[in-house]
Amino acid sequence: MTSASMIVDRKTQRYDRQLRLWGDHGQAALESARVCLINGSATGTEILKNLVLPGIGSFTVIDSEKVSGADVGNNFFLDADSIGQSRARVVTELLQELNTDVSGNFVEEPLQSLLDNDVEFFRPFTLMIATQLSSKMLARVSEVCVKLGIPFLAVRSYGLIGYLRLQIGEHCVIESHPDSPMDDLRLDRPFPELLSYLQQIDFNTQDGFQHAHIPFLAILLKHLLEWKASHGGLPPKTSKDKDEFRAEIQRARRIKEDGSRAEEENHDEAITHATKAWHVSSIPSEISALFADSNVDNLTATSSPFWIMVRSLRDFVMAEGEGLLPLRGSIPDMAADSDRYIRLQHVYQERAKHDVAAFTAHVHRHLAELGLPLGTISDDDAKTFCRNAPFLRVIRARPISDELASATSKLTDTLNFHLEDPDSSVAFYVLLRAVDLFFEEHGRFPGAGDDQVEEDIAPLKQYVVGLLTDLGVSQHAIKEELIHEMCRFGAAELHNIASILGGLASQEAVKVITRQYIPFNNTFLFNGITSTSSTVEL
Amino acid sequence: MDASTETAAQSGALDATAPSPAVAGSNNARPASNAIVSNTNTAAAAVAAAAVEDDDTEGEGEDVAPRFEDWAGRWDHIDKLLVRRGPFAQPTFEPCVELRDFLLEQCRILVIGAGGLGCELLKDLALSGFRNIDVIDMDTIDISNLNRQFLFRQKDVGQSKALVAAEFVNRRVAGCKVTPHFCKIQDKPEDFYRQFQLVVCGLDSIPARRWINALLVSLVQYNDDKEIVPGTMIPMIDGGTEGNCVLRFLQFSVRLFVGLSFTALFCVAGLLYQGFKGQARVILPGMSSCFECSIDTFPPQTTFPLCTIASTPRIPAHCIEYAKIVLWPQAFPDRALDTDDPEHINWLYLEALKRANEYGIQGVTYRLTQGVVKNIIPAVASTNAVIAAACASEAFKLATGCSSQLNNYMQFNGQDSLYTFTFEYEQKPDCLVCSNIPLDFACSASEPLRALVERLSEQPFQFKAPGIRGLGKTFYMSAPPSLELSTRPNLDRTLAELGLQDGAFLQVADVAVPLPVQLKLQFRP
Amino acid sequence: MINLFSLKQQKKDAAAAGGKKTSAAQLRTQKDINDLNLPSTCKVDFPNPDDLLTFNLAIAPDEGFYKGGLFRFTFKIGPNYPHEPPKVHCEQKIYHPNIDLQGNVCLNILREDWKPVLSINSVIYGLQFLFLEPNPDDPLNKEAAANLRENRRGFEANVTRSLRGGSVENNVFDNCMRSGNSW
Repeated sequence: MTSASMIVDRKTQRYDRQLRLWGDHGQAALESARVCLINGSATGTEILKNLVLPGIGSFTVIDSEKVSGADVGNNFFLDADSIGQSRARVVTELLQELNTDVSGNFVEEPLQSLLDNDVEFFRPFTLMIATQLSSKMLARVSEVCVKLGIPFLAVRSYGLIGYLRLQIGEHCVIESHPDSPMDDLRLDRPFPELLSYLQQIDFNTQDGFQHAHIPFLAILLKHLLEWKASHGGLPPKTSKDKDEFRAEIQRARRIKEDGSRAEEENHDEAITHATKAWHVSSIPSEISALFADSNVDNLTATSSPFWIMVRSLRDFVMAEGEGLLPLRGSIPDMAADSDRYIRLQHVYQERAKHDVAAFTAHVHRHLAELGLPLGTISDDDAKTFCRNAPFLRVIRARPISDELASATSKLTDTLNFHLEDPDSSVAFYVLLRAVDLFFEEHGRFPGAGDDQVEEDIAPLKQYVVGLLTDLGVSQHAIKEELIHEMCRFGAAELHNIASILGGLASQEAVKVITRQYIPFNNTFLFNGITSTSSTVEL
Repeated sequence: MDASTETAAQSGALDATAPSPAVAGSNNARPASNAIVSNTNTAAAAVAAAAVEDDDTEGEGEDVAPRFEDWAGRWDHIDKLLVRRGPFAQPTFEPCVELRDFLLEQCRILVIGAGGLGCELLKDLALSGFRNIDVIDMDTIDISNLNRQFLFRQKDVGQSKALVAAEFVNRRVAGCKVTPHFCKIQDKPEDFYRQFQLVVCGLDSIPARRWINALLVSLVQYNDDKEIVPGTMIPMIDGGTEGNCVLRFLQFSVRLFVGLSFTALFCVAGLLYQGFKGQARVILPGMSSCFECSIDTFPPQTTFPLCTIASTPRIPAHCIEYAKIVLWPQAFPDRALDTDDPEHINWLYLEALKRANEYGIQGVTYRLTQGVVKNIIPAVASTNAVIAAACASEAFKLATGCSSQLNNYMQFNGQDSLYTFTFEYEQKPDCLVCSNIPLDFACSASEPLRALVERLSEQPFQFKAPGIRGLGKTFYMSAPPSLELSTRPNLDRTLAELGLQDGAFLQVADVAVPLPVQLKLQFRP
Repeated sequence: MINLFSLKQQKKDAAAAGGKKTSAAQLRTQKDINDLNLPSTCKVDFPNPDDLLTFNLAIAPDEGFYKGGLFRFTFKIGPNYPHEPPKVHCEQKIYHPNIDLQGNVCLNILREDWKPVLSINSVIYGLQFLFLEPNPDDPLNKEAAANLRENRRGFEANVTRSLRGGSVENNVFDNCMRSGNSW
């Protein structure tokens, strides 16, 4: 017997619980990622903590501050002895200590000077994260990230409020891991191998075991074909049709020696899943939209493998696919004997392989036409792409600098829609921008001192009203209590809110880095007063 | 009451060991003494009252541990919420510095579980100003914990989670006193749990959560008007990352603020896709829905029909289950399977693989074998951070009253984009645990159990065939016949002879009621 | 709204009473047991009447292949009942399509089809049904099931032989015959 400890190395053991989510290839992406954090605030260290633990390649903290007493009060990666020292250095040391696989770096130069003098400094990073930046600096970092083509996450804790913003040029996701994907069974368009499988099944067997273990897919297909034959080629349409269809399956149960109908689980399943019989195989609207993307029509030698594959997918659909995507090739478990189930599984798998081969031929043709080596897209890549074809996603999260520069009609419409509800968390979007306007003029946030809370309410309200007008949503008002609450917060950074955002931001960072799962697009607002939130595209 | 609280405020000003009064240079934070005198219902009054109590019990002649001296600015961030008025604070909230001192000095909070959620909770609570924290966990550290349980290192593998976590937090957060308990929650008596103002759960085990929930509900006492006796209710904040089936919530007629299509986002297909989901909730035992009210939303562990496993395996998991359930006991009748032993898992893996090859089933791997056998739920640092911090934030708000609260259930789904869904989970009218408010039942020590049974057959109970238990014993059962026969002699014994005392609780089952009724015996003098 | 800390003072007075905690599993089991309504062919007994979570069941079928036999099962109810089903084990080695030689029982409501609305009564009825109508289509003992499907007579003879402690297909079974009418 092989020693089990040999089978699983230390790293696999350590990362076991996450490898089950994003796999070895996701982990490899993570391990080669270089993440840059602006500001070693509580929010910042909480984000990095959740990235260092799962094992990113390296991180770099940019922070020119010295550790204050208040910092040690809300940040777990500082301690009392570190007051007065470099915040960048201390948080880097204490974060690094979490995981020796990760390399930690820090830069004490002010962000402002890096932005002014050394933009190239940022180029090597896989992902930029900024915490606790107000609008003006945010816009500057945003511009640099756009220029360098680096995805950017902006994160902010403000009292009980949390703000998260993703900016990403074009993010293509193949493995989106849908929650409950529909089976791709093609009963409405049975392929030849499936039909010949059906012919091998003896529906009239007197053997109770055999009859009770016919896979329900075969039962459904048989009845569907019979139905179509007697209904001018049409599947059950009306609810009366559908009831009748189910009744036919009911009557197909085996008659026992005593004349009663056998209880057969496979027939139960066929009735339960009867909708699969009239489900129309089709291409999801998101995928049709992808086919219309200009990247698909204008392939060049610099096109990404993703777009070459989307183009090949479209070609497949128009040719071999006869209007459908490649078959995914998996079937659900069902009451059946091992042999017939596995043969059915095989029928689907073989068909899927056949489709992958046809798809790959298109890929190779395009690669050749573009003068790219065939190895640009491996057979495994092609297979993974086909298996995920119905779930492909492309996300484009527009630059923060654009959003802050002027209100588009889309932004106005979105705000109008959400501010209709006076309790919507989206109100905090307006409020966060208003406190930044206040900051720009007063050099401090509203309610910075205990005696400034009441007096800052009226001025902050003026900024809110002005901002609503600028954003084209002046017909809506922000509740007076919310304005008061923002002044009360006085830009406090509560550890709990920092930690919630740290969790959310690190999760989105993992999605961006691994290109698995679907990131949010593009603004998330958390209201810690009521523990509610909104995700909106602004 | 007024006199004593005033004394407290004064003595507090003189005694360095007592909370210092509100002298912050703030217009909003009124002097504590004003608040106390003006409104005894305020949190401030409560804080001071609590301080008096402690002065009474340990102030005289005993050594009081010197208060930890905080450095300047340490609590600047949380103070903004504690010393300032807030429009969304609870009606009884009075801003003052004593509130922070309450957190630091007096408030006792229990964290159950020192795993993924527990490590986060300890950090979150310690940095929110909670200083007297107890943590209980029976588990030891495994290498697979290290990807998220950030208080543990490679060198700690095999040690108690509670001990290592407590030590780490105490070392990092100056002045914090985390007390570890390396044991099962069931090992602690009721009095242990009664010490705390708040309980926060970060557990992955459903039975453990049911147990603590039932215990906290049982601690709630009611006065003669059937109102909750205030100090007996210990709020329970429960975090979970198992991704339970919210779709089923619909059956429980919760208040849905949004349409069906939105709710459907949370439909969980099964146990396959977990890891980016979780929930945080606030349970006020006796006042809001309890954990047991929602038990049916937690999917039971996936099980396959035994006959499928034995005769018609089709998928890899069937082969793995066969190796576990059938082959292991056959091969090692005297050795229990240890799912933490890699050698054991490897044996199962090789057997499952053999069986899979026999049937032509593909996909049995070591990782899958381990996952199926141990029922592993994927887990990452980020989800734990979100859920734990949401719970800690509720704990902070509950403890201080500085803001309104989560009412009462937040579901989080980060699989596709970021979504939270917050709603009020309503109490289940026939909940086995929280709908079961004990009824006072007048009786005397000298009457036989039979007399009690006869009275139960009358109004308002009208029980025809009761089954009576109490003190962990079976006193009488109407069915089945064997049990009826063996417990029948008890009918002629007096309550005193049965060991029942005034205030004892009996559970009485009958076909007439959906669950046993709780009786609290009130002995007539 | 509650105010947590105004309540602290009452706490110590309240500490005197208590002791009513009974787990949901306990309460539900008490209810299930007290509501048991068993056919004359089934009997349960409790080794320790104070522990309702562990008990034995005996089934003496009065018709079918297994008439004349007496079959013993143990029930163990876990802390997660009724969220999870009771654990049931056959204590004898018997020849039955749905019970394997180790005493595992294939009954849907004991595993995949368990629901909290079911009760101990439903499980006992389910077990009894297995003896009246063994199900060859969901076999746990494949040989027995195949025999029942293909050769009812032969199966009947095998059952009879096994019940008397005889051997079938190289397996020696426990003697499960009931002696006389009392059991």
